[in-house]
Amino acid sequence: MAVCAAIVGKDNSPKFFCCINPDEELTFQYKVLSSLDIIEEKLNPASKSASEMRELYLGQLYSLETCKIYGYVTNTKIKFIIVVDSTNMALRDNEIRSMFRKIHSEYADMVSNPFYIPGEPITSKSFDSSIKNIITGTV
Amino acid sequence: MADDILFDLLHSEIINYTLRNVDDNEKDKNSDKKDEDLSNLEYIGFSTGYRIIERLTREMPRFKDELDTLKFICTDFWSAIYKKQIDNLRTNHQGVYVLQDNAFRFLNRLSNGKQYLEVAPRYVAFTCGIIRGSLANLNVHCLVTADIQSLPSCKFHIQVQRV
Amino acid sequence: MRSSVSYILSTSTTEPNMSHPDYEQISHDHAALLILVKHIGSQLRPKTFTKFYDRIAKLNQVKITDSSGQVRTIFVRYIKEHPVENNDWGDFQTHRRLIGLVSLGKYDSQTELNEVCRVHESLKVKYNATLYDSRSILFGPTKDVDSPVTDKSSGSDCSETKQESNIEKYTTPSNFKTRALFYDETSACVDLENQIVEFINSLFWVLESKRLERSREKLERVSLLFAPFEKKDFVGLDMESRQNKKRCTGRMTKHLGDLCLQAGLVSESIQYYTNAAETLKSVNDWLWLGAAYEGLSTASALVLYPNMQRSEGFQRFGSLPEGSPKKANQEPASSTPTTKKPIANLLNPDDISKRYREAIIHYSKYQNAGIVETEASFKAARIAVEQNHALQAASFLQNVVYINLALSEQEKIQRFETLAHLYTQIGFNRKAAFCLRLAATRYVSPQNPNPNWNKCYSLMLQSLSGHKLILDPIEMLEADQGWPTLQIQILQDLIVAAKRANHSALATRHMTFLLQTMWSHLNQTEQKELAIQLQSLSVQCEGSPVPLVLESGIVVPPANLTDIPVCLGFVLKDLKPHLRPRLIEQEKEDMGPFLFTPIHFGSLDRNKDKGDPKMEFLWVENEACEVSLKLSNPLSFELKVSNMRLLTSGVVFESAPETVTLPPDMVTSLSLTGWARESGELEITGYSTHALGVKSNCRLKYMTNHFPPQFKVDVIPSLPILQVSTSLPQSASFSNFHDDSIVTSAGLSLYHGESAQCVITLTNTSDIPIEMLEVTVNSILEPQLQNEIFQVDLEQVSLILPLQPEQTASFDVKIFASANFLAPNSAVSPSIPQDLNSGMFSSLSTSLPGNSSFSRHNSSFRSSNSGQSSLAGGLTALFQQPLSTAAVEAQLKIRYSGGAGLQSGHCRTSTVFFNVELMPSLHITNWDVLPAEKNTQFYLVLDIANLTTQEMELEYTASKHMLIEGQESCRVPVPVDRCPLSKLSDFYEEADQSKHLTDINRICSEHISELVKLKWLLNATDSKGVASLKGINLNTRMLDMVRMSPLEWEVKINGDKFNAQEDLSCDAGDCMELQMSIANSLETALKELTLSIQFYQDYNNGTLNYRMDTRLAISGASKKILSSLEPKNAANHRCNVVFFAPGLYKLDIQCYTPDGGSTNTAPLVSTGHVWRFTPPISIQVK
Repeated sequence: MAVCAAIVGKDNSPKFFCCINPDEELTFQYKVLSSLDIIEEKLNPASKSASEMRELYLGQLYSLETCKIYGYVTNTKIKFIIVVDSTNMALRDNEIRSMFRKIHSEYADMVSNPFYIPGEPITSKSFDSSIKNIITGTV
Repeated sequence: MADDILFDLLHSEIINYTLRNVDDNEKDKNSDKKDEDLSNLEYIGFSTGYRIIERLTREMPRFKDELDTLKFICTDFWSAIYKKQIDNLRTNHQGVYVLQDNAFRFLNRLSNGKQYLEVAPRYVAFTCGIIRGSLANLNVHCLVTADIQSLPSCKFHIQVQRV
Repeated sequence: MRSSVSYILSTSTTEPNMSHPDYEQISHDHAALLILVKHIGSQLRPKTFTKFYDRIAKLNQVKITDSSGQVRTIFVRYIKEHPVENNDWGDFQTHRRLIGLVSLGKYDSQTELNEVCRVHESLKVKYNATLYDSRSILFGPTKDVDSPVTDKSSGSDCSETKQESNIEKYTTPSNFKTRALFYDETSACVDLENQIVEFINSLFWVLESKRLERSREKLERVSLLFAPFEKKDFVGLDMESRQNKKRCTGRMTKHLGDLCLQAGLVSESIQYYTNAAETLKSVNDWLWLGAAYEGLSTASALVLYPNMQRSEGFQRFGSLPEGSPKKANQEPASSTPTTKKPIANLLNPDDISKRYREAIIHYSKYQNAGIVETEASFKAARIAVEQNHALQAASFLQNVVYINLALSEQEKIQRFETLAHLYTQIGFNRKAAFCLRLAATRYVSPQNPNPNWNKCYSLMLQSLSGHKLILDPIEMLEADQGWPTLQIQILQDLIVAAKRANHSALATRHMTFLLQTMWSHLNQTEQKELAIQLQSLSVQCEGSPVPLVLESGIVVPPANLTDIPVCLGFVLKDLKPHLRPRLIEQEKEDMGPFLFTPIHFGSLDRNKDKGDPKMEFLWVENEACEVSLKLSNPLSFELKVSNMRLLTSGVVFESAPETVTLPPDMVTSLSLTGWARESGELEITGYSTHALGVKSNCRLKYMTNHFPPQFKVDVIPSLPILQVSTSLPQSASFSNFHDDSIVTSAGLSLYHGESAQCVITLTNTSDIPIEMLEVTVNSILEPQLQNEIFQVDLEQVSLILPLQPEQTASFDVKIFASANFLAPNSAVSPSIPQDLNSGMFSSLSTSLPGNSSFSRHNSSFRSSNSGQSSLAGGLTALFQQPLSTAAVEAQLKIRYSGGAGLQSGHCRTSTVFFNVELMPSLHITNWDVLPAEKNTQFYLVLDIANLTTQEMELEYTASKHMLIEGQESCRVPVPVDRCPLSKLSDFYEEADQSKHLTDINRICSEHISELVKLKWLLNATDSKGVASLKGINLNTRMLDMVRMSPLEWEVKINGDKFNAQEDLSCDAGDCMELQMSIANSLETALKELTLSIQFYQDYNNGTLNYRMDTRLAISGASKKILSSLEPKNAANHRCNVVFFAPGLYKLDIQCYTPDGGSTNTAPLVSTGHVWRFTPPISIQVK
């Protein structure tokens, strides 16, 4: 399904990054990083779009020849980003949305984990596998 | 019912525990007994609030502004933690909010009126922390103080810190 | 945004495309007249050209009144290059046509002028198809005469030349058909602007006439306009078809719109565009429909945003903060359209974008229109920027990348640079950085025929800020943000670019930066690899902590490897104890009961933790100071760190370079040394290193292990240094004293009573004279005892000063093994009466070294001899014990100072540690006092034990010697003069109860110890000494014997004075006359004395028989009571005695005061005291 998922903190630094194909990690990091510009713009209270959009799911941020990038920002300004292969036409908006909701739920659990300090990069192995399962659709 | 009371009991035990620890540490300093050091308790609340808010806002639409956020605190948030809503929210629209709970959960079982008024601050410190932590994670940085005139009613003053 | 039916309407690219995209275009350019400003010839300096170009370019908006009197605003766009192919699209969009030419050239001679004119003409030929008019600005050589500028009437003839009068007359060649403007490049050229305006006017009128001409054509009859690639598509088509007629009309309407727009008729153009769009839409002419939409949008934008301008260059470098900087810039000018009257069909801001979007979609259907599409995207994006609509702009920009164009590498680079620029404008810094990186890589891509690493590097550098990379490592580490994985890669790319661009210094710098800032994000292999890379980079150019300034003016701040190696400890070392400066005044030693109180210690430590960086000790000018470091090598290979020096501020400090090789993952200690060259406060802020080929200034405050930002220490002026040596061998055992300023030690063994001398030699090894010297002895002994054992010749010491540099002086210390020789012993030798021993030892051992006051300090005193109880075990026990020795430890403190250090009140202390082993020589185990033959003397009988293992020769009186075997004892009688009354007279004075019997004891004891010196000599070792009887204790009986009697006796027998040495004999039955007189030699009267005589017989078995009634008879009183005996008076008594039987008789004459007598008497005269005449007179009766 999706090929990459990222969690970016309030300060726009990466907290978690996972890629189905580890070789592509660097390229995806560039793409995800660039998409932050758009997320920021969408959240900018001065711009018109922000006040209208009250959903946490931001929809598609932008699409490239090879992939499409979707965003989701929690109320606590934690950004979730999913990269989907462009060739994957089967994936509908609703499925992306539910993927994000699952990630959010995992993240909320993560934050409740006493061994995780909010704001630090997430290193939990079980979290990593949960997210992988979510984006590959195995859950 | 048992699960409700469990939280109350745990809360009061935490208070006892932290205050005892503070006492042990402060003993040699021979400090004034009047001002209890509730900062530990407040910090526990802060950490709790910071973490729990992620879960509580999961299903919420994005907050439009500060006031919207505060409204959430008064309603959904308060219901989730204290099983009732805030009775009154007031603001000067300049970053000061006063949340009034006429029957605050942690004070409800203590007394009616002035008895135990002296020790009542212990029972709101944790909540002040929770509010501050929750708002901090929602990017509203503030100071939270509580004001108790008569049990079990309580006012929380939130002063937003503008950068 | 792309049409999903991409390229369906395009054929393959056989036709030449418009090959040169103009990324700088803005929508307003649609309304502009395009003028090429060309630099001709090599004579004109580029700078001059730029100066004039800038002047000309300011005239980008000109108001012209048209024939109907209406004022039109004409826009002009000046360009420096114009590929002639771009004119091909002039029918499609008229603003692409070059219609004006201004050339700038310089000449010094006619030939040069001719050449310039020729080039101008050839340019005219080149752009002939579209050019309306041209001007040639010519800078001639300056004439000497400085004449005022003549009037310049603008001629009507094209070929007419205009000249400033101060220019040398040269004539343009005859075939030069252009109006030439002659100027002096150094003069103000005041009418240049007028000339250009005039030129624009001329262009406008040509344009206006063409427009009118076109608009008068019948729309039904117009020919079809083509985009360059379309031509062959229409070959053979039926042009008369309704469809095509409409197409022709639509295209022409659109074309008229273009012309109107250029001619300053905005509202007309909007009308044309609107009509054209309708027509073209109906015939599905997508390309031109797109153009019509674009025209509509640009015309509307011109109305809404008249002030929109081309933004210049890339001047920013990380100057835009995160977020959208444009947001607050300005309210879009949309609210104030310049034209008052509403224009029909004017698009509102949202529609402009919408139409542009549609236009782009239509363009995208044609592969050959790629450049038009690209340009349209940029133009649309710029409008969105103007509208503050970042997302909109972003989507237009995003579209650019999709357009597949056959571009040269240079054009691709420009495309990315333009994208980056626009992204920056909308605050998309990350995206901008991404584009910059793409541009950078294009500069060096394999396809690029002229790789330019320099450009690549400079773009890479610009892209850093978008990745939250700050060139200053300190700020970078503080900010701690961004995406480390990407940052690492970007830095690595940057390093490669710098290296390839031959900026080795920069490559080293960036690699240092990478290691310094990204260390925690690198895994161990990467750390190692990068470190090795750095090493190889720095071979080419060593890194050093200075900022690097690039040509572009960008400053690359220094990067220091503060944590390679990691500093785990940084401790300033106090000087060696004996070199530590101390204050001269306050030499107060802590004499409190606790030498070290843990609480005090703890609080001290806590203070240190609080980071008070001020040291509690002092350093000395020009003397080596030390900082000890603990370093750890974080790399997995051996790291050599050279040239390590201390970084300081404050007083001048000279640091000695150190080199250390650190094995991997191990903590190594090392110390850095230096010399403060003046006095004052010194701050140590870190150290410099040279590791991996990089010189770093490692400041404490920037290290990961949090040290205080600096350590401060006071440096005092120079002090001299003294070297101390002793004539004695070094002590084997070392001191437990806490004072560690000990420089040398002296150890010796002495038998009790022995003495030795030690010469202390002082050498001034510094170059400062010693002007102050103080010698004191310190020990834990009681001061009196200490003074007995150690005697410093202070006079000698005072003579040493001043001790000049390199000079030597010495003084003596006398050491005496003082001891108590009176052994406590309860054993009773048979011959000494028991009563003598009573209670005498309890006070004896108190003054033995190592007693009472010492027991507290057991730890510092090695004595096995300190227990009293064991000593009480008797002589046998004494010998059975191991030879008990005691050690005395003491310090000889030498405080000295001189020079500037003395002025500032400081000195140094060197301590000599003395360890004196005291071995017992002899002990007096018992003593008694016996009457001597002479009344003025008595015998002190001593039992002396030789405690050594050697034979001892004892000289107990001046003439008497005795040999005592090792561990044997013997008894010696020592004749001693009795204690004279003068010493005791006090005690006979009037009653003073404070004078006590013990005082008498003390005085007598002192008397004895003064007189009796037992000299001993150990033959085997030739050591000798003197034992004193100090502290000997006497009982009352002894005291009577020891001291002179206050009564002077005189006894006469048969009229002869009695002499104790004589044997007295008589026969039984004889009458013996005893005559005695007692004289009071005191100053006071003695009262109620009773004199008695008594005979007895001593059976020499301990029995004395006083019953003499049957054996003798006394005539006269045997007792006489004297009521008072005045001083100096004598009392006499006489009696006779007759012995009945022979035998040995003894006569005891005594004088006593009665029991319970007057209380008002002095201690010695108190009750019941008896004085005897000694020795008893013995009489042999035959």
